[in-house]
Amino acid sequence: MKKNTFYLLIGCIALTLLAIFWYSVEINNPLLIEISFILGIVIIYLARRKVTDLIEDERSAKITEKAALRTFQVFWVVFCAFSISAVMQILRVPSFPRNRTFEHIPNSLPPEIMPPRMIGYVQLGLLCLMIFLYVGFRLYYARKYGDWETDEE
Amino acid sequence: MHDMTQEDLAQAIGVTRQTILAIEKGKYVPSLDLAFRIARHFNVNVEEVFTYEVEGRTVDID
Repeated sequence: MKKNTFYLLIGCIALTLLAIFWYSVEINNPLLIEISFILGIVIIYLARRKVTDLIEDERSAKITEKAALRTFQVFWVVFCAFSISAVMQILRVPSFPRNRTFEHIPNSLPPEIMPPRMIGYVQLGLLCLMIFLYVGFRLYYARKYGDWETDEE
Repeated sequence: MHDMTQEDLAQAIGVTRQTILAIEKGKYVPSLDLAFRIARHFNVNVEEVFTYEVEGRTVDID
């Protein structure tokens, strides 16, 4: 498989995943997009092994490695900070001072620390943050290791 | 000297042309494996192709 065919395949998979995501939102079935996403990644990895053109050497591998490492270093801090609040939601740890607004209502539940819809928005934000971090670091390291150098040949 | 383009060398040693260019410009330090592959391609010792510099000072390997 040629390099350009591979990139075309990635584009097609991305568009298909976008359509499946939209459909799974319509039918309210997150399992569909989750399985499709994993399948899409597996197909990309398998197709990558069939590429005959050289698309990666030790320099590009180093750029990828450095960008991934830096993304991870920043992302895990933000992710852990959010996860701690999500764990608080599970454990129902009360915030202090206690909110006494609903105490007069019988059988009322304590107020949620973070509503489920908000968790979804934060997850979306984290996903976007991870993508932007990776792209940013990749551009930085590509520039550092001479990706856009030109010669006078 | 060898009448060879960067593309030719890149293909011969299995890297991209951009990597050869980055090495020439001093933007990327190749691994030992790649350095030896380049030297072996030109049938010379690795010291004849690469020099080791510390803070702008060339270090004599011998």
